[in-house]
Parts: sequence; structure tokens; C-alpha cells
Amino acid sequence: MAPANLTAFVDEDPPVSLWRDAWHRLFRNKLAVAGLVIVIFLALVAMFGPWLTPYDFLTQNLEVRNQAPSLAHLFGTDDLGRDVLSRVIYGTRTAFVVAIVVTTVAVAIGVALGAIAGYYGGLLDRTIMWFTDMTMSVPNLLLVVVINASLKTPVTAWMEAQYQATLNPFYRQTVWVDFLLVFGSMALISWPPYARLVRAQVLSIRGRPYVTAARALGLTNRLIIMRYIVPNAVGPLIVSVSAGLGTAMVLESAFSFLGVGVNPPTPSWGNMISDGLRVWQHYPHLLAAPAAVLGLATVAFSFLGDGLNDALNPRGSK
Amino acid sequence: MTAPAYNKPLLDVRGLTIEIETRRGPAVIVDGINLTVGKGETVGVVGESGCGKSLTMLSLVRLLPNKIKVRGGTAVFDGRDLLQMSKSELRQVRGGKIGFVFQDPMTSLNPVMRIGDQLCEPLIYHRDMKKADARKRAIELLKLVGIPGPEQRIDAYPHELSGGMRQRVMIAIGLACDPELLIADEPTTALDVTIQAQIVDLVKELRRKLGMSVVWITHDLALIAGLVDRVAVLYAGTVVEDAPVGELFKRPTHPYTRGLLASIPKLSDERASRLSSIGGTPPEPGRRPKGCPFAPRCGLAEPICHEHVPALLSFAEEPRHRVACFVAQRQMMEAA
Repeated sequence: MAPANLTAFVDEDPPVSLWRDAWHRLFRNKLAVAGLVIVIFLALVAMFGPWLTPYDFLTQNLEVRNQAPSLAHLFGTDDLGRDVLSRVIYGTRTAFVVAIVVTTVAVAIGVALGAIAGYYGGLLDRTIMWFTDMTMSVPNLLLVVVINASLKTPVTAWMEAQYQATLNPFYRQTVWVDFLLVFGSMALISWPPYARLVRAQVLSIRGRPYVTAARALGLTNRLIIMRYIVPNAVGPLIVSVSAGLGTAMVLESAFSFLGVGVNPPTPSWGNMISDGLRVWQHYPHLLAAPAAVLGLATVAFSFLGDGLNDALNPRGSK
Repeated sequence: MTAPAYNKPLLDVRGLTIEIETRRGPAVIVDGINLTVGKGETVGVVGESGCGKSLTMLSLVRLLPNKIKVRGGTAVFDGRDLLQMSKSELRQVRGGKIGFVFQDPMTSLNPVMRIGDQLCEPLIYHRDMKKADARKRAIELLKLVGIPGPEQRIDAYPHELSGGMRQRVMIAIGLACDPELLIADEPTTALDVTIQAQIVDLVKELRRKLGMSVVWITHDLALIAGLVDRVAVLYAGTVVEDAPVGELFKRPTHPYTRGLLASIPKLSDERASRLSSIGGTPPEPGRRPKGCPFAPRCGLAEPICHEHVPALLSFAEEPRHRVACFVAQRQMMEAA
């Protein structure tokens, strides 16, 4: 059936996927590789934090307050004699957990709403976009302050009451309430950019012939969105997520710096910077250590995001 | 090959009218098309760009773009009106009973899915096949459309295949569920001439093997001469001539059909001679002439052509040959 000469085009190599192609382009970009290495390093530090810290991050040792970096305390100690390196490592955990959870939730909301708005159009699109614009118009700092100010006290009081009533130690732990409020308020304000991005992508993909072809095959809308539209929109989304992770870390630090994020004694780069700022003329290392790590993380994510952008949109670069 | 029985049409389109919403209000782009396709018959739908060929076919499975709507008519397929079906019934017809092959193989395949997965999709969805069975069937289909090394190619991404190969994959997807009707919308336009011929031969052979009906949309009369049983010539959203293919080439009657045939270049033409063409352009939607839509471009037009729309009438000696032209109909009467 096939003309014999066509056989010449069959090669035995396994097919090269679009993703492997993108990987190759990413690895040729030195800055992106550096960013990726730093991100992976910080992620490993966050993951294995409890095994890496030389000291407990909460233990105070008043005999060694405000020490400059030494072999015993690589990043020195703070005003309560706590090991700064251990606290920075735990701050990394905080930053990653917040960034990953917030970005995941924001991306899930954004992709779902954006894809639905873009695919169905009409009134549904207008309603969702109206809601998105409204969310975007809320100043993020204000929202977080409001949520913290209004919810934190009653929730903590309720937890305390539950503890008094049941003596269940679960209610004694207030750290996760803290996290929940920070996650929740940040996720609530971070999804609109993803929704807009995905909607724009879907609008351009929806009219492509392969989507019409898929509809002509009788596939359901759900299947078409999930297998034909979203996967084709994922390139710009990955770039945006990589940048978004960095942004979420900075945001978490900013909130903690202002005292509306993660509460002490849970270490966060933000509240460490805030503490260090008060005494930096005398003990610059207390400011330098968390600030340097925060800077490193931000730079790494933005290099990686740039590299991913070039790798996934090869036509846009060069 | 014996002539297939045409008496009971598989697809019977009557008075199909399609409008587009414009700023100046709705404009008619397809004006009361009548078209039948018999079981096992292959029909060529011919006409220049923008005459409503593709829209007519897309409207059958209700895949028209947003601002374009069907305003009237029926499209009975296998005893049911496609235009009245519920969405879930329609989904069963799409891909299950009516297969589509689209114009541009470069953009009609999902670039991030392996071709095997795209082939399996309709099988799993319409035929409730298990993944492994669907894959086996997908390999068979690739073999059927003449793709060498289907066991390897099934895991390829579309960008790894040439245009002709991709069009074969498209055809395989269209055929996946053994449709009763295959609608091919200019499937060879994006391909070079030798590949075009291969694709035409492929569809010819598949039609013989599988016994399905085919509607082949094209603007290239010469290409389908050896492929189709019957040709419907479309102009500005109406059928102007409809005849068995041999009859049409022997006795083209509508001035537009004659113009189309005259514009096919021939080897016997003098080297320096200009290619013949039909002067003017088709009417824009919303600015359709009052009478015969072809009258403004027609060399034979008479006053009546500008006033009234001619009906599609049969020839006396060959009832399957129908033409919508006052001049031709009068000549027919005079000859009889």
C-alpha cells in the first residue's frame, strides 16, 4: 500500500518529545542552569532541614547572644542566643511550604476559571472575568492585614476554648492556624494573573483547527479542555509558575516582615530580617544572613523563569 | 464495480440556509442548499473559496463558528435530522458515524499528543475500547492508510511527520470508528501534487474496502475527476449544477461550471497563452444580487437573470443532471 520510497523516512530513534527539546534549550542557558541548581539546593535544604540544622532553632542560649559568625555558629547567633543558620534553614522550609501551597492553590483556581471562561465565552466568561478584575483590584497587603486582624483573634480564641473544653492537644498548636491564614489570604489574591493568562491562551487555542477536529470527533468539552487546550497552554503557565513561586516567597517574607505573616517563634526570612533590621549597625550578620538567602532565592527563581521562557517559547527569543 | 444503489440517500440536505451576523445585520452565506449523498456514493462538492463549501459541511455536525448560524432547512442523516438532535446524540454522530478530515494537516493534529493517543481517543470514547485494544486497532489503522512502520510511528508526535504522513494520520482518525460518511474538507490543498495523487488513490481504495460514503470538498475539479461519482457545483452558497461526474465533464451546462473547467490548465495549451479565468469575484455576503448570484459575472446573462433566481431543474434526457440557469434551461427546452 505504501510507496516503497517512504520507508526511507522511518528512523529507529525513539521520538523526540517537545519537552525534551525544551530541556535541551534550558540546559544551554547558563544563568537558567545556575538558577535551577540554586532552586534545587534550597528545595533540598527545605526538605531535609531537620537533619541539617546544627542546633535546635528554638533553643535559646543566653551565654552566646549576638555572636559573630564562627565555626561553632556559621551564621552567628541572635539576641536570644539562637543559632542563625538553623533559623535560616527553617525559614527556608517556611518559605517553600508557603510558596508551593499558595502557588498550587492559586494555579488550580486560576487554570480552572481561566479555561472555563476562555472556552465557553459569553456570559460565563464575562462573569468570571468581572470576578477576576474585582479580586485584582483589592490591594493584597490590605486584604492580608484585614484577614489577620479580623480572623486571627477569634480563631485563636475559639481554639483556646476548644482546648479548655476538650483538653485535646491538637487545639494547643496554633502554628498551623497561622499558616492557614497566611496561605488562605495569599492564595485568594494570587490566582487572577493565572486565570487571565490561561484565558488568553485558551482563547487563541480554542479556534485552532485541532480543537475543531477534536470536536468533530465527538469528544466531550471536558476532554477537549483537559487534553487539547490546557496542555497546549502549559508552556507560558510553567514560566509564570516559576516566577510566581519566587513572588510568593517574597510576599510571605514581606508579610512576616510587617508582622502579619508567620508569627514568631516560627522562623521566616521576613521576620528574621525585621528583627535584624533593628540592630544591624551592631550585628550586621543578623540582617545579612536571611536577606542574602531571600535575595538568592528570588534571583534564582527569576533566572529559572527567564530560562524556561526561552526554552518553551523558542520563537520569542534570539 | 457495480453502481451503488442511490435510491435511498444516507444524507439528505434540504433548503439549508446559513447566516452570518455582521454589523449591518444578518447576511446570508449559504442560501437554501439541496444536496443528497447516497449510501456508498462519493460526491464532490466544488466551488471557489468563500462559496460556503466548508461551512455547509461544518453546519451538518453543528460546528459553525460563533457568529455563524443555521437559519433554516433540514439535514436528514440515516433517518434523523442532524440539525434537531440533542447535543449528546450529536456527539455520537460526530466521529462515530460521520468522520471528518480537515484541510490543513499541519495544524489539525494536537501538537502535544502522540498520534497514537489521538487515534485511540475516538475508539475509547465511541467504541468503549480498552486502551490496549485501541492501540492495536490504531496500529491497524495506520497500516491501512499506508504509514510505514506503524508500530514505531504510533508513538511519534505530529511534528515528526511530513505533511503527507500527517494527512494520512488525519484520515486514519476520521476512519477510526468505521463511519458511514467521511467528509473530507479540501484534504489535499496543503500538500504537493504527488502527495495529492497518493491521498486521492488512498481514499479511493479505502472507499472500496470499507463501503462508506464520501463527501470530498475541493476547488480542484481535475483532482477529483477520477474519484467521485457525482459532482455538486456550489456558487455563492447555492448549488448551481449537480450531475454524475462523467456527464458533467461531457456536458458542463452552467456558465460557472464551464468557467471552472476552462480554467484547468492543459498540457496542450500554448506555452505563452494566459491561463483562462472567470472575471470578477463572488458576491460578498450581505450584497447578494437580486437574481441569479452568478449573473453579474456571467457572459450570457439576460434581463431575467438579474431579476429572478433560477431553480435547480433536471435535464429531460438525464434526470440526474440538474442545473440552475435560465439560459441553459431555455436551450434545453428548445432542443427538446
